[in-house]
Amino acid sequence: MRIEDFSTFNQVKESGLARLQPARPRLAVGMGTCGSGNGAERVYLALREQIDQRGVDADLRRTGCFGFCAQEPLVNVWIPGRPLVILKRVDPRDVPRILDALLNDDVPRDLALCRIEDWDHITSRLQYGRGWNDIPLWNEVPFFKGQKKLVLRDCGIIDPEEIEEYIAIGGYQALYKVLIDANPDAVIEQLKASKLRGRGGAGYLTGTKWEFLKRAAADRKYIICNADEGDPGAYMNRNEIESDPHALIEGMAIGGYVMGAAEGILYVRAEYPLAVRRLHRAIEQAREYGLLGRNILGRGFDFDLHLVEGAGAFVCGEETALIASLEGRAGRPRPRPPFPAQQGLWGKPTNINNVETWYNVPVIVLRGPAWFSEIGSPKSAGTKVFSLVGKVRNTGLVEMPLGTPLKTFVYDVGEGTGNGKAVKAVQTGGPSGGCIPQEMFDTPVDYESLAQIGSIMGSGGMVVMDEDNCMVDVARYFIEFTHSESCGKCVPCRVGLEHALRILNNVSQGAAATTDLEMLDELGRMIRDTSLCGLGQTAPNPVLTTLRHFMEEYTDHIRGHRCPAGVCEHLALSPCENSCPLHMNIPRFLQLLKEERLEDAFESVILDNPLPASTGRVCQHPCDNRCRRVSLDQAVNMRDVHRHIADSILFSDGFDAMAERLVARRLEPTGKRAAVVGAGPTGLTCAFYLALLGHDVTVYDSNPLPGGMLRYALPEYRLPKQVLDREVELIRRLGVNFVGNVRVGDDLSLNQLDDQFDSVFISIGTWKEAWVYLAGTELKGVIPALPFLEAVARDSHVALGRRVIVIGGGNAAIDSARTALRMGSEVTVVYRRERRDMPAIPEEIAAAEAEGVRFVFLAAPHRILGDPQGNVKAIEVVKTELGEFDRSGRRTPILTDEIYRFECDSVVLAVGERVDLDFAKASGLKIKESGTIEIDRYTMETSRRKFYAGGDVVTGASNVSNAMAYGKQAAAVIDQFLTGERRFDRIFRAFNYSKLPPEPVDTPRHHLAELPPQARVRGFEEVMLGLSRADAVAETHRCLRCDIKEVSPV
Amino acid sequence: MNRKIRIATSWLDGCSGCHMSFLDIDERLLTVLDKFEIVYGPLVDAKQVPEGIDVALVEGAVSNQDDLELIQQLRARSSLLISLGDCAVTSNVPAMRNPHPLGKILERVYIENAQADQQIPANGVPPLLRHARPLHEVVKVDLHIPGCPPAPDLIFHCIAELLAGRTPNLETRARFG
Amino acid sequence: MDRVNLKINGQPIQARAGQSLLAVARDNGIDIPTLCHLDGLSGVGACRLCLVEVAGVGRLLPACTTPVQHDMDVRTDSPRLARYRRMILELLFSERNHVCAVCVSNGHCDLQAMAQSQGMTHVRFPYLYPPLKVDASHRRYVLDHNRCILCTRCVRVCAEVEGAHMWDVMSRGVHSRLVAELNQPWGDSQVCTSCGKCVAVCPTGALAEKGRAVGEMQKPPLHLTDLALLRGGLS
Repeated sequence: MRIEDFSTFNQVKESGLARLQPARPRLAVGMGTCGSGNGAERVYLALREQIDQRGVDADLRRTGCFGFCAQEPLVNVWIPGRPLVILKRVDPRDVPRILDALLNDDVPRDLALCRIEDWDHITSRLQYGRGWNDIPLWNEVPFFKGQKKLVLRDCGIIDPEEIEEYIAIGGYQALYKVLIDANPDAVIEQLKASKLRGRGGAGYLTGTKWEFLKRAAADRKYIICNADEGDPGAYMNRNEIESDPHALIEGMAIGGYVMGAAEGILYVRAEYPLAVRRLHRAIEQAREYGLLGRNILGRGFDFDLHLVEGAGAFVCGEETALIASLEGRAGRPRPRPPFPAQQGLWGKPTNINNVETWYNVPVIVLRGPAWFSEIGSPKSAGTKVFSLVGKVRNTGLVEMPLGTPLKTFVYDVGEGTGNGKAVKAVQTGGPSGGCIPQEMFDTPVDYESLAQIGSIMGSGGMVVMDEDNCMVDVARYFIEFTHSESCGKCVPCRVGLEHALRILNNVSQGAAATTDLEMLDELGRMIRDTSLCGLGQTAPNPVLTTLRHFMEEYTDHIRGHRCPAGVCEHLALSPCENSCPLHMNIPRFLQLLKEERLEDAFESVILDNPLPASTGRVCQHPCDNRCRRVSLDQAVNMRDVHRHIADSILFSDGFDAMAERLVARRLEPTGKRAAVVGAGPTGLTCAFYLALLGHDVTVYDSNPLPGGMLRYALPEYRLPKQVLDREVELIRRLGVNFVGNVRVGDDLSLNQLDDQFDSVFISIGTWKEAWVYLAGTELKGVIPALPFLEAVARDSHVALGRRVIVIGGGNAAIDSARTALRMGSEVTVVYRRERRDMPAIPEEIAAAEAEGVRFVFLAAPHRILGDPQGNVKAIEVVKTELGEFDRSGRRTPILTDEIYRFECDSVVLAVGERVDLDFAKASGLKIKESGTIEIDRYTMETSRRKFYAGGDVVTGASNVSNAMAYGKQAAAVIDQFLTGERRFDRIFRAFNYSKLPPEPVDTPRHHLAELPPQARVRGFEEVMLGLSRADAVAETHRCLRCDIKEVSPV
Repeated sequence: MNRKIRIATSWLDGCSGCHMSFLDIDERLLTVLDKFEIVYGPLVDAKQVPEGIDVALVEGAVSNQDDLELIQQLRARSSLLISLGDCAVTSNVPAMRNPHPLGKILERVYIENAQADQQIPANGVPPLLRHARPLHEVVKVDLHIPGCPPAPDLIFHCIAELLAGRTPNLETRARFG
Repeated sequence: MDRVNLKINGQPIQARAGQSLLAVARDNGIDIPTLCHLDGLSGVGACRLCLVEVAGVGRLLPACTTPVQHDMDVRTDSPRLARYRRMILELLFSERNHVCAVCVSNGHCDLQAMAQSQGMTHVRFPYLYPPLKVDASHRRYVLDHNRCILCTRCVRVCAEVEGAHMWDVMSRGVHSRLVAELNQPWGDSQVCTSCGKCVAVCPTGALAEKGRAVGEMQKPPLHLTDLALLRGGLS
């Protein structure tokens, strides 16, 4: 039906409305590529079949995508008089109950994502019904909150294959208006006043660009829609076209009229078959309705559109390359001037705009520039669609006003990572955008702000990254992409990217030098400043921004030969090994035990980790979080297997033989004297390796016995002292000399150490409680956690009283709580965040709860109250609520006005510890502001020659395994300092064991036997009983052997 | 400075043309001979690389294991290391083998094209590196004098500048080939 | 003819509207390095050596394709430009196997001369050593890919002056390569007129006459009219 006058136009509109809001229920399945990929076809077919079978009186339609990818497939359900409800994650099996509900004038509540009472199509408003208030309104759902759907105004609501539905919601009205007004200059003025800028990424003022073409004198002019969306992870244009093709056609028809072009070309990448198909259909329909072709809307305007499929070269997104491609030449850009508006397609003046730019045109024509420019920021008006992907809970297409801060995207719309991990960075603008670190998430997302910090808006890709993303690998990946998409015309991009990629490959393989990074930086700047087109000019962005913001990760790869995220395969034996601070060869000891070679397994373990029985009990086991077995069932219980291996030798007749075996591994005596200050886990580790390396080692400690925190802070029920004693005995057998009751600084000066020893390693612990401002801390009955635990460990008398409050959420808090419980008190732990934010080991928290410890979350101490005798009487706490995410990936607690009170007899403060560095004053050791000793991260050197430091004394309070890693690394560098050679590898040995991939078993994870809670709290007996031999061996069979990367054919 | 400047020269994978060019400085060498002595290289008898070299002039690319060890030793014992000539600067003709797999080259030379005794030599010759490489890819180089060979004038200019305590500026004076 | 007043390196200069910055600079004795530009052929802005700084413009602009404008304030020789030019030359030398010592164009090569004039004494990037072929199938000429810098002077002179369009570039990125017709041996070309224009304009030893030994391939600078009349090579 050709539309040539108002009455026909209105007729069509009415008939469209009758489709959109029929007199009977309407169901519409979201069937963009994304929906279909998630099973929407099957949902549609199931609905079709069952509606027909059951004779349900309802319309079934297809629609585009509503944008919430993480919840696909989406189904719209509308019952006349009711709100439009969007159902999420619909499965074909849900269809019967959806129809059942429909017949009962209802929708299944568990499937309901949101409801829509009225919808602003911008070009018109559509009212649905009211009610069903238990279903959230669409813009109450966090993902949609703050979104402003201008470009996506019709997506997921109308049927993209029905022109009448588009006309029904005000479509083609803007075109009609422009043709009737017959004042092209006025439209250009409107566009200019609206401050609409090109949405392809460059951000040029659209009105000005249109004016160029309008003014160009020529017999033929062309307008082109650039739909060559090629960024990995970006799909907004695809979705816009698939969901609302007519809005694009309308925008271009207006453009054709205003700029004086009779022909428009849609350049769509061939990888978007559905978009191509729907556009073809839309063009046909538009021609049929007299909206394209000759005498459009009876107004005497001729304009037609042609669709050309691009072959998928990324560079063809560049306008001059796109034109070359349209002309049948190789898609290579050329320098401008001449600009396309002067000489474009076939040498004729041409205008090219991005898909999204065209979508904004009808809106501005109908609603006016003032309305439009009020949205967004002053220099960047309107909205922009972003594809929010990566490590966020809510992925999908997000349309936000320009100028919205980045953090809104990540934390509000995306709701963070959703897995408790911290967001590290966001990469905007596709493969040639920059990585923006978490500290800069206040940056408003607009053209200027992003450019200022080295990134770009690009076409709107937004990739969120967390700690599992390696920034070197991210840069490498994107350079690999732009490198392979470089057209090869200009030298900097063609050859420069090749060298940049080679350097990055070397970094990710640990084969680069720090000087390579300087070269990479210089090369990146050169490519950016000298390349011919946008591809080369922006390609270095990922490199330059990661170099700027994540230099530490680069140097970790180069100097530390380590990929902290565990992504770069060359630098890791296996994910578990990479995650282990001590880099234990975990697959090896598992396999050795599997082969029933207990002694070898022990040797493998102890050479990697001198305190395997202690760490086997108290390690935070980061390996569990990395184990690939998780994708099958649960992680392999690596920690408890090495505890089993360690216990089996340490407490057996084989102990002496094993000690002999280790002593035999010791290198020839070097005659060098090495001092270790602090006999905690760090010092013990360093001493163990230095002794193996043949040095004469003396360890000093202020406590009478070695062990540090392991002995004096960790409660007996977690780590029995006899376990530690066996480990220390083994170290002693290697010839290490322990001197207790010596406090360095008081009893022995640093200068004396300097005189008597060839090297000094400082590894004292964090024994000083952190200062905390809290009224009432002077009261009797207030005790910091470490002195409390230490007193208990020394069997000193501590009177706690009946009711004990523990403040804090770390391991010291839980240890204190469980200890107090064993002393007969009632214990409550007060923590200012939520349970999942507690830094303590989760199993410990669970155990404490099982034993009867009470937890109060979201509460911060306010003041401690005393009785007239100065004894603790009660504590007041302030209720907190959680605010914005901080660097740790947790929400910051914010104090409220609500205060409540707990009666109690004592308060244990476990709010953090620090190092007592009084001894280091005027010693030549540089102290950092954080109150720790400053060292070189890789060489452990302090500012004083001969002196090295590691563990808590350089990091602040950490955990046992992290601290031990410093001791191990320090031994290697101290040995090199003492001997001038790299000898560390010589103390290790090779083991011959199976390198064949194992047959997978489906045994579930073996857990430790434990004492029942009632039995535990009566004393300090060890709670977690070790694995049996049979269980330990069975557990080794669960390992998937990620260390086997290739199998040589036999 | 009264002490004579200690100069070493060396010849890795190259044709000795740069040394010839050095000698082509001719009688002008006499004018500065009181200021330096040559302590190592093909022009003198020393068998071991001595310590305390002031300037090392090295011709040729790093092509085999022996080259590699020698250049590292020279670097460690010299204050200033100069790449002399294209082979040292770019690896030049020795690098023309680089695009091809090593095994294939050896096979072609010692088996396919050999008249007699068709075998790849293994004893008494240092193993070849995968690529012939310019010096600065292996050790730090302080000055590059390109040319095949560099002109005697250019070499003399450099030596004269160095003896005068100046860093020679070769930009626009030297060219490849 | 409209006149345009501008400044290059602080020197006031008058030019004709529509002239390129490169042409104006050369008219005034200011040297701006370039390898891909050749008077009479269309500009491609591919080598990026002729980039200059223009006050008030954030980006660097190629002098060969940028028309002069009123009050332009141009710098052709800043330290940054010198650094970038050297690096571009290093990239070119590292890309293929440019062994000057054994090249037919040794001593007569624009690339070699450019390295010298820009003070590039060594290449800091590792050489890529691509295995490239030599096409000696043509009766009189030879194409050595090892020496090609992809300036496309040959492509343009063949298409724009001779009108044959026998040469073009295939593939992309670092794999780009000059091809005769649709990638066939040069000698098999039906289109090639053997005029020798491509050889004459090639800045390096990539295109040469057969039978030339090291350093023997001289390509005297030809005026466009001589070039247009060229038939049957340089000798």
